[in-house]
Amino acid sequence: MSRFGQLSIVAFAVLFAQSAVAQNYQGKELVKPSLQADTSAIVPGKPFNVGLLLRMAPGWHTYWKYSGDAGLPTEIKWKLPPGWNIGEIQWPIPLKTIDPGDIQTYGYQDEVLLIQEITPPAKIDISPVKLSAEANWLVCEKICIPGGANVDLELPVAASSEPKNTDVFARYRRLVPQNFPDDKAATSNWSRTGNDLHLKISSEQIANYQNIDFFPVPQGSETVVGHPSIESRKTNEITFRIPIESPDKNLSAMPGLVVFSKFPNSNDRSAWRIGAPQIAAAAQIVQPSRGIATFLLFGFIGGFILNLMPCVLPVISLKIFGFIKHAGQDRRGVFRNGIAFIAGIFVWFVGLALLLIALKAAGHQITWAAQFTNPYFVLALSVVVLVFALDLFGVFEITLPQALTHRMLHSSEREGEAGSFFQGVFATALATPCTAPFLGPAIGFAFTQSPLVIFSMFVSVAAGMSAPYFLLSAQPAWMKFLPQPGPWMVHVKQFMGFLLLATLLFLIYVLGAQRGLEGAIWASCFLLVIAIACWMKGAFLIPTASASKRATARIIMLVFLIASGAYFIGDKFHSSKIDIAQSNLPGDWQPFTPERLQSERDAGHAVFVDFTAAWCLTCKFNEKAVLENSEVRDAFQRHGVVKMKADWTNGDPAITKILQQFGRPGVPLYVLYPGKSAEPIVFPELLTKNNVLEKLETIAVASR
Amino acid sequence: MKMKLLLTALTTLVAGALYATDIPSVGSAAPDFSAPDANGKTQSLSHYKGKYVVLEWFNPECPFVKKHYGSDNMQKLQAEYTGKGVIWLTIDSNAPGSEGNITAEQAQKIMDSWKTKQTALVLDPESKIAKLYGAKNTPNMVIINPEGKIVYEGAIDSKASPNPADIPASTNYVKAALDESLGGKPVSNAQTKPYGCHITYKSS
Repeated sequence: MSRFGQLSIVAFAVLFAQSAVAQNYQGKELVKPSLQADTSAIVPGKPFNVGLLLRMAPGWHTYWKYSGDAGLPTEIKWKLPPGWNIGEIQWPIPLKTIDPGDIQTYGYQDEVLLIQEITPPAKIDISPVKLSAEANWLVCEKICIPGGANVDLELPVAASSEPKNTDVFARYRRLVPQNFPDDKAATSNWSRTGNDLHLKISSEQIANYQNIDFFPVPQGSETVVGHPSIESRKTNEITFRIPIESPDKNLSAMPGLVVFSKFPNSNDRSAWRIGAPQIAAAAQIVQPSRGIATFLLFGFIGGFILNLMPCVLPVISLKIFGFIKHAGQDRRGVFRNGIAFIAGIFVWFVGLALLLIALKAAGHQITWAAQFTNPYFVLALSVVVLVFALDLFGVFEITLPQALTHRMLHSSEREGEAGSFFQGVFATALATPCTAPFLGPAIGFAFTQSPLVIFSMFVSVAAGMSAPYFLLSAQPAWMKFLPQPGPWMVHVKQFMGFLLLATLLFLIYVLGAQRGLEGAIWASCFLLVIAIACWMKGAFLIPTASASKRATARIIMLVFLIASGAYFIGDKFHSSKIDIAQSNLPGDWQPFTPERLQSERDAGHAVFVDFTAAWCLTCKFNEKAVLENSEVRDAFQRHGVVKMKADWTNGDPAITKILQQFGRPGVPLYVLYPGKSAEPIVFPELLTKNNVLEKLETIAVASR
Repeated sequence: MKMKLLLTALTTLVAGALYATDIPSVGSAAPDFSAPDANGKTQSLSHYKGKYVVLEWFNPECPFVKKHYGSDNMQKLQAEYTGKGVIWLTIDSNAPGSEGNITAEQAQKIMDSWKTKQTALVLDPESKIAKLYGAKNTPNMVIINPEGKIVYEGAIDSKASPNPADIPASTNYVKAALDESLGGKPVSNAQTKPYGCHITYKSS
């Protein structure tokens, strides 16, 4: 270190003054540059190749066009007369060096030839021609020294030419990457999850090489790429994981090289260029899915799937039942009925959209199924479900007030249609808590968009949900596949009533989770009074009863309802609360708080967070089928993963904030935080055992 | 079963395509460290909680570092922002035996002859601080806000070259990030690719 003083001070002055042909450092020649041509003479108009040949001292290296974690690429500035064209540098496949601290760089040792094609003009007046360029490089060993030189080369102009320097050109041409092969020989596929790009290459060639790597070429200084790694490898398929460290969310692919060799950095290495066509293909796949059209499509599909959700099925079966009943009727009647049902679906979604737009405009945080975090909404829904069930049992008949029906549909004959309309609204109201897998992302996306997009999103969800009824209504011929009407229908109807009661049980369970056992009991008391009122309506409010009897029944019903509503709900239910933090969690789950998550992560523990809610059936399903599966439980324990439950049943704002950080409008959400610094892994909304086990395995490998 | 498979596949696809959940190192808490400086004083990051702190990885032999010190660019930045109450810690994380590793004595000499203006020059010959922050280059710049969160990480400026002549035409990311932060604004360019010499880590 004694030379330190002199060197560091003197170096300021001399560092960039030097432009000698060779670069000297401590009496050693570090880089010897020269220009080489692959031809003995220039033939006017005929392209030829020149190369900047850099010879490095042993142990020293210069860099590739992407230098990696450190270093700088070599630069060549040509000084060519007008009319002469120069092509891009044909960078040979570099060597990948890994230094302590996992510093990965891409460069060349000993020697490199950077080939470029020159196209001379068709007419050249002078001979010989002097080609000159200024080259700048950074050469490193333990220390880095920038170097530069003016290099030139004189070539005669002639009518014909002989190849020259064939050895050195052949040596480096062999190392120039090839274009990506056609579809028959290989395919590439980009995807992105979180901050990771994934590049999947399928080709038979993969089986022939022991060593396959991806060398990235990020564009611009704002894209910061981590170290690519191999995610999976099969006989004819390899997938690379390319972490993106800069916050560029739209990046869907990256140019680079797929490098094949027997051993790392062996001389037989060859490469395929991932260039514009592969990038464009990735952009085509990914871009539309970011586009509004694709989200609307997902909205549509999601809406369709809502029909199959457990909380909707009873109502939907009612509707199918309605179709059966009407199968014998005239076509127009069936069609109008179907349309009324569809209108009900649309009105609910459009109403929800308008409400959300208004809330968003008012600066509220909005979330999907947020209405379920409100116990009064759940209670209201319970009442509706119960009343419907009693109707199905035949305890009473729902008759809509004539005036209302009149005003809405201008004709009393269309009472059936009004019924269909409300069935549509009802079915959809029940559907919302079942955030169908598609709706999560699609609506999450919509929430970040303009009101118009939110609106279109909900309309397309509505369209998706109503599509099957529309088809059945518009094409009643298809109804011949449905069974003939008959007395069996009464039994089916009553059975459907039990399905609704099952739904009611679920709603009461949700109320219990929100307001405790007492809350659920008080709410049930109120429901009992409602049931009695319904029975009274069926038993006494009949056309054959005298007017005074009917009036008395009405008054008793009203008093009953108001008194029980005020007492059970207004007083008892309203004041019953439970402390969520005290609620017992099963097994080894811990209640989630952001602080607890942070402290566990700071301690270097891996943490799995289950964002759930009592009313979320998908969550319950995942918990039972996957998370509480003994194999999965053992895996969590084996890998020492801390498990936390974030209960969103009452819409805890701290949890809402985190859901939004993950771009989710609601639960379920499953996140695995691997360690202190690694990025969290987000699971799909429908968990599978294999997926969870696999991810647990990867973090175990990573932390080893 | 098929349905569920399909659902899972599609969900993964959709969720994957859309839900880029990113917690970049920018925005996360800056890890604490304690190390001696050139004057033998212990410097701890936690000691400076409540203040903006700049970390600058250093190697006196590295041409990219010399670019900014030889042109007085770094000293000016240090003087300007330490004048505004910002703590500036220059860190040498190069392992003993490698070029750029310095003793306390050498560090003092450099600070004198280069007229540097940082709060302290921290010696990290075990490369511990570099490992904590994943620093790989000299210069590599990190800005930490008074709440202890990283608000900037990356290069000192936009022109990756060792040539001081490039400084006037380049955008100084550190200056921009500090100005934005001190002005109460979010940092618009919070992460860039650092350029320079690699830090020679202590091989363990």
